[in-house]
Amino acid sequence: MFDFLLNPVYATWIVEGLLLTIEITLFGVMLGLGLGTLLAIGDIYGPKPIKAAIAVYVEFFRGSPLFVQLFLAVYTVPAILNIQIDHSVMAFLIFGLNSAGYQKGYVKGAMETILGDQMQAGLSTGMSKLQTLRYVILPQAYRIVIPAWTNEFCSLTKSTAVVSYAGLDDLIASGISIKGITYQIIPVWLVIGVIYLIWITSFSKLMDVIYEKKKIPGLELLMQ
Amino acid sequence: MLDVWQQLILLLEGVPLTLSISILSFLVGIAVGFPLAFIRVYEKETSFLVDAYEKIFRGIPEIVLMLLFFFGLGPYFTFPFNSAFFVAVFVLGLRSGANQSQIYRGAIYGVGNEQMIAGMSVGFSKWRSIWYIMVPQVFTFSTPGLGSEYALLIKDSAYVYVIFLAEVMTRAVQIRTSPPYDAVTPFVLAALIYIALTFPIALWLDKWGTKRKKKIGL
Amino acid sequence: MADFVMEAKHVYKTYGKSGKKASTSIDIKTKVEAVKDVSLQIRKGDIKLIFGPSGSGKSTFLRCLAMLDIPDKGEIYLGDECLTKPGVDLNKARARIGFVFQNIYLFRHLTALGNVELALRQVLKLPKEEARKRALDALKEVKVTDCVSKYPAQLSGGQAQRVGIARALSRNPDIILLDEPTSALDPELTGEVIDTLRDLANEGTTMLIVSHEMPFAREVAEEMIFYDEGTIIETGPPSQFFNAPNTDRARKFMTRIINRTTREY
Repeated sequence: MFDFLLNPVYATWIVEGLLLTIEITLFGVMLGLGLGTLLAIGDIYGPKPIKAAIAVYVEFFRGSPLFVQLFLAVYTVPAILNIQIDHSVMAFLIFGLNSAGYQKGYVKGAMETILGDQMQAGLSTGMSKLQTLRYVILPQAYRIVIPAWTNEFCSLTKSTAVVSYAGLDDLIASGISIKGITYQIIPVWLVIGVIYLIWITSFSKLMDVIYEKKKIPGLELLMQ
Repeated sequence: MLDVWQQLILLLEGVPLTLSISILSFLVGIAVGFPLAFIRVYEKETSFLVDAYEKIFRGIPEIVLMLLFFFGLGPYFTFPFNSAFFVAVFVLGLRSGANQSQIYRGAIYGVGNEQMIAGMSVGFSKWRSIWYIMVPQVFTFSTPGLGSEYALLIKDSAYVYVIFLAEVMTRAVQIRTSPPYDAVTPFVLAALIYIALTFPIALWLDKWGTKRKKKIGL
Repeated sequence: MADFVMEAKHVYKTYGKSGKKASTSIDIKTKVEAVKDVSLQIRKGDIKLIFGPSGSGKSTFLRCLAMLDIPDKGEIYLGDECLTKPGVDLNKARARIGFVFQNIYLFRHLTALGNVELALRQVLKLPKEEARKRALDALKEVKVTDCVSKYPAQLSGGQAQRVGIARALSRNPDIILLDEPTSALDPELTGEVIDTLRDLANEGTTMLIVSHEMPFAREVAEEMIFYDEGTIIETGPPSQFFNAPNTDRARKFMTRIINRTTREY
């Protein structure tokens, strides 16, 4: 039943598919973290028009399914601009933009727990607002955000499954190809499912370990 | 040739399916997640089973599960796994159960152990304390988490595209893949429809959150 | 060269406060005039202490001096520079002022050493080794060398506040402003902070302290300033306040305070 695993061709497909899945996820959460931080800062310090724009951005990316956003990115945008865009590029991008919509909330929440007094303290030593954000606020915020960020990583990994329907060769696409040839539907999907499971569970464990190591006494108390 | 309004109607006809999938999955989630949360907290010996369940349903993509059950089991067990609707509610419901189990668990800790102790001090057994004292309070504490879980279900109902259920997402793709191959309108409309479905929840969550914070003195 | 290290001229600061009256649920907007036409001059080497009833606005005035709160009206001078003029680089000015907070506000993610070093590196732009040396010197001066690698959560209140003082000291500021440095501490811990402040005073540091530690005031302050309801009511040397205050309000306040503190003796 499971002998398709022994076939080197299929095994390669699986590994390549998994790699693409991991790449999209990593790119997505990293872009999401960077852009999310900018959005959080903009939402805290920006003028009204910027805050409104950010609110619309967040509502769009959090209010509609990633599936729809993917197709919008891959089919709609090129159609509007009337040019051909590589599906991979748009897929990577849309995962980052989507993740930013969620991470903005986590980063902003973490920052708000810290702001008030730590900003005052930073200013009192002569640092500018920007310096205080960079050296005092964000370092603390990023530590507080780690559990939510880990969650975001796991949820994003699961969501990457949709890219196979936009033509990308991720793990699901590998599964579809293999089952199409071998007709071993249940074993193939069981294996694919288990691979995702192992990847996600190991990553969570890894983040837990990192979190324990990087923990600073006094900072975890804030995570209520 | 379909114009904007005709497309809109076509998509809106998928909304009842979207809603029924999300509502039923949510209810399945409550039925599964609520008891599991209490078992996880109060019965230490079996709690590892709950952990395993949570890990599985939060670690495997919904799409994989849907493909597995519908295309894998569907051909063998003609009923119920050959019904895309059943598979959808089955998968999303169990997934929601895993999420909700976490939410209720957080709420149980939020309510606090002192409440249990108070219950037992007036003579309730462990499980009666749970039923009369914890359960009512846990619901109040978990409302925000439940709100976002429901919004998540509405969005995840789009996954049923992979098992050919004709709700909003599937219909949008159908419009694009038939002449005149309009790639713009269907997806824009679909996104707007989903946002319209989730927006009230987001608003309500915000309002509820600030109200509760005021009540408990934050 | 200015005569004064810092000067406040006719400073005003009001807070708008809105609250709900518990019984009737009506929104009340009360404006708190924390600083009403306050002027003050501080010379090099002065050690002045501001005291008065809670809520009188003393802390607000102190924060206005450091431009952590911006005054509504009036002028603040740091030496020759007028800080309340638009376009002034407040960050540079604040680098010349050392501020110690009531609730300490150490940077939670840094060790004691890191807390003191941060501004030395980012504001004064000192190279790593020099910043480290100066930070260690400051920490030695406040006698917390055994806590150098500890995080704020691992320090006692007294140790943390002393680190806060070191953080303010390390930049060799023109003046140190202290906002109720001991009020948030447990009584047994205030002693160490007060000892540190006494040492600083003896070394000639220019200090402006808001506090109600009366024994400390009597021993160390050169001038005491009674502040109530947004204005300075009376100023004078400690002997004046502890023996025969000029104003009624000061007299009433001193009687209450002394009765409280003498009971502790």
